[in-house]
Amino acid sequence: MKQERRGSWYLLTALVLGAGMGLVYSWVVSPVKYVDAPPYALRADYKDDYRALVASAFIYSNDLERAQDRLAELKDDETYQTITLLAQRAQADGRPDQERRALNALSLALGRGVTPVAPGLITTSEATSLPTNSLFTSTPLLIEPTANPTITLETTVMPLSMIRTQRPPGTTGSTPTPGAAFVVRETRLVCNTNQPQPLIQVELLDAAGQPVPSVELVVTWEGGEDHFFTGLQPELGLGYADFTMQPDVVYSIRPAAGGQSVGALTAAECTSEDNSRYWGSWYLTFVQP
Amino acid sequence: MSRWSKFLIALILGALAGLFYGWVVNPVEYVDIAPKSLRVDYKTDYVLMIAEAYQVDHDMGIAVRRLARLGSTAPKEIVADALNYALQHEYASQDLSLFQRLSEDLTTWNPNQEVPTP
Repeated sequence: MKQERRGSWYLLTALVLGAGMGLVYSWVVSPVKYVDAPPYALRADYKDDYRALVASAFIYSNDLERAQDRLAELKDDETYQTITLLAQRAQADGRPDQERRALNALSLALGRGVTPVAPGLITTSEATSLPTNSLFTSTPLLIEPTANPTITLETTVMPLSMIRTQRPPGTTGSTPTPGAAFVVRETRLVCNTNQPQPLIQVELLDAAGQPVPSVELVVTWEGGEDHFFTGLQPELGLGYADFTMQPDVVYSIRPAAGGQSVGALTAAECTSEDNSRYWGSWYLTFVQP
Repeated sequence: MSRWSKFLIALILGALAGLFYGWVVNPVEYVDIAPKSLRVDYKTDYVLMIAEAYQVDHDMGIAVRRLARLGSTAPKEIVADALNYALQHEYASQDLSLFQRLSEDLTTWNPNQEVPTP
């Protein structure tokens, strides 16, 4: 009787020992090796590199479907938003200029579902022969600069939700047509306590009053220049773009392809009802006449 | 059957159960892999993307840094492996020529001539 009980226990002990040895071997000594891994198993930073590479390749091939197929391998929940966010923080991440522009172009294309030909990116003879039958043409806007606009200072207090038009990505916006010069319709100072940083907010509209995405804007200041595009924040409007100002710096802004320029923009302060001061934002509306 | 035999059989059965659990039921998961662990077709597509991007920026320095993510072997070998796979799997001729151009430019590329980026 005593011996039988001993027998059962040592068998169980052997089983447990064996299982432990098996686990040590399979998890530590010789774990499953993923030599044939898919892109979605990549580390987060490698995934970002992969996305940037997809964008750079997209600039060459102009093939949105292929780019989408490649991005699908990452199994992101929101591909468009992921690319847009990556495009927005590309500068802070120290990505090369080409990658930043490529990410911007891919973000725009994903948002609209079309393949833009990003200006200034295609440099090779092979690339310049790419078809240009997309909604975005490679033809630059033929815009003659006109006289400086008159800046009217108007202090308007409005909630941000009123300023920023809610539009889902992929909704149809207007495409800039060659020869239609953007002129400044309105420049106003917007005071919004919910917006702590001074911004240059730009909205581009076509002659029909429809927002125009994918227009490159150039902002310059003494010793510096930056470029940004409308439509990168589609939730704020396809014709919308903004740029954060630094206090005491004088900026001027214009569409990159030409058009009217707005100068002498500096961060301006607003005063609230309790006499506290906060930064206001310049809201510029460009239109095609 | 002796007690030692039973012990050994139980040990082996336990080890098999452990191996089955560790390799099949709940294997080690690598969720943070590097591009060098990608499956060969994904690796080939990765190289193709590098070749496409190179055609836009013509910056071999960037191309080589990107290729370095795919392993410590020479960049030219990585491109050659990708080209071989592409040939075997009948990639489009445009894609094949991209691999070839990148491979050719790698041959003549001199890293010492590259201007260091800050």
